[in-house]
Amino acid sequence: MPGDIGPGEALAPAWREYWMRGRSSAGVVIGLAVTTLLVAVALVSLVWTPYQVDVMDIPVKLQAPSAAHWLGTDQFGRDVLSRLMAGAVNSIAVSLVAVGIGAGLGVPLGALAAARRGIIEEVVMRFNDFTFAFPALLSAVMITAILGPGAVNSIIAIGIFNIPVFARLTRGASLSLWQRDFVLAARVAGKGRTRITAEHILPNIASLLIVQMTIQFALAILAEAGLSYLGLGTQPPAPSWGKMLNEAQTLMYMAPQLAIFPGLAIMGTVLGLNLLGDGLRDLLDPRLRRLR
Amino acid sequence: MTLLSVRDLSVTLETPEGPAPILEDVGFDLAAGGSLGLVGESGCGKSMTALAVMGLLPERAVATGEIVFEGRNLLALPEGALCKLRGRRLAMVFQEPMTALNPVKTIGAQVAEGLRWHLGLGRGEAEARAVRLLDRVGLPRPRFAPGLYPHQLSGGQRQRVVIAMALACDPALLIADEPTTALDVTSQAAILDLLAEVAAEAGLALLLITHDLAVVWQNTRSMIVMYAGRVVERGGTHEVFARMAHPYSRGLFAASPGALDAVLPPGRRLAAIPGLVPDPLHRPAGCVFAGRCPRAAADCLPAQPAERRLAPGHAVACLHPHLEATPA
Repeated sequence: MPGDIGPGEALAPAWREYWMRGRSSAGVVIGLAVTTLLVAVALVSLVWTPYQVDVMDIPVKLQAPSAAHWLGTDQFGRDVLSRLMAGAVNSIAVSLVAVGIGAGLGVPLGALAAARRGIIEEVVMRFNDFTFAFPALLSAVMITAILGPGAVNSIIAIGIFNIPVFARLTRGASLSLWQRDFVLAARVAGKGRTRITAEHILPNIASLLIVQMTIQFALAILAEAGLSYLGLGTQPPAPSWGKMLNEAQTLMYMAPQLAIFPGLAIMGTVLGLNLLGDGLRDLLDPRLRRLR
Repeated sequence: MTLLSVRDLSVTLETPEGPAPILEDVGFDLAAGGSLGLVGESGCGKSMTALAVMGLLPERAVATGEIVFEGRNLLALPEGALCKLRGRRLAMVFQEPMTALNPVKTIGAQVAEGLRWHLGLGRGEAEARAVRLLDRVGLPRPRFAPGLYPHQLSGGQRQRVVIAMALACDPALLIADEPTTALDVTSQAAILDLLAEVAAEAGLALLLITHDLAVVWQNTRSMIVMYAGRVVERGGTHEVFARMAHPYSRGLFAASPGALDAVLPPGRRLAAIPGLVPDPLHRPAGCVFAGRCPRAAADCLPAQPAERRLAPGHAVACLHPHLEATPA
């Protein structure tokens, strides 16, 4: 029927507008480009790398970048580009699961604290303060030291120190929403606290959480690299950016490229994700959205 | 048939300085399909009465008495049973339409929500009903698509959405708490007409809370006047307007601007009631209005005056009421 508009159809212009506004912001464009490149490289490495990742080729060890080995070779003659590509998978996997744990537990805890208040809120938030009191990387080192080194344990460690970040953010943002009239209206409509949280509170803080996830993702990549550098994260021979830095350390004067390229990869990734996070924060800001 | 019967409702709020009585011995009846205006100045307990009926008093508040709705005492019902009543049999419209809607959900989804939740309708059916409801409250498609967001609507339009949400499940009682206070004058009249119209059409009882006597005059059959948490005068709207007996009712009437001009002589100056509402923490033992009352005498001070009947269906809680007709 002409002129007939169904529910949800007004959504389309909103996304088109995000795209238009996003395109005009250099931060979002660069951040999105870097992140897309990272994911693309990781995906490609699953099916193809220039050389086999773990196969040593001692005769060509410690070569400078060349046409055959674009980023050179390490002390065992392994191709640095191939290892960087495979390392990206490792970084993404660890960070994704770790942030997933942090948000998956932190958001419900924060929402529960805001919805229930009282003693439940006290317990949740004091537990948060306790976790927050330790520097993130230090507690990750402690946890991996207890549980033993390895990729899975580093995921758990990074995940745990992500929980209070999300719990705090969720509680703070939810508390102010609980005071709003539309929540009272929802209660008048007969909804319980759980339903209101799911239908009214969480959708209103979704953009906030998305931005925080982007930033925590960058921090998790950094933390994973840090743990691997200390030998507590991903174990050799599996490729990891942090491990590559560690191995390059002793060869700094002979083959500086071994340290430079993983360093650049970590820096570029973190920078890209931070730019993306900052850009998304501006883009998803409801105050700016209202101006439509 | 009595739909809602409030008996001896008292609400006390725990404050750091001690318990503050917010409502004292409030009582009224509302028949099915009837309309009752609840009028009084800010802080007199009007909204608290509405929240008490909805079972949404603040957690620090303690309520005693009885609120009997469809034969059940709401104050004694567990939260789960109340949730099933709210939105289904009891509905409410708020003062602030600008904030009463969820900013991230479309108006169609917000109207359809109650239908799916209380009536168990499927998505398609609920959305079709939502479209009809929006049309009913004056927001027809395609100009007002259900896919619009609240920020794309004006205040009056949002209040129409709130009314559509309230009407969705065909409630028996609609509480409207200052539904037009935040709107401009033209929208006010339109929204009140709409409320009266849909209430009559659906046969639902309307509890209209306002500080505006003109709104009560135009929209309700009976009314109660509240002051400092107490009912000071009650009766049929026409009877009360004809012979306002409580000095506070008269003061409120003399202070009303606007729509009452038609019944008032030109050039009349609006009168103010001197003094302030007593602090709930330090209410006087006697009549709560005595401190501001032009007719107060020594016998007003020892005890709160009991309600006395002046005429059938017209009662006042005052020892020295006006017995003559309200001056035009």
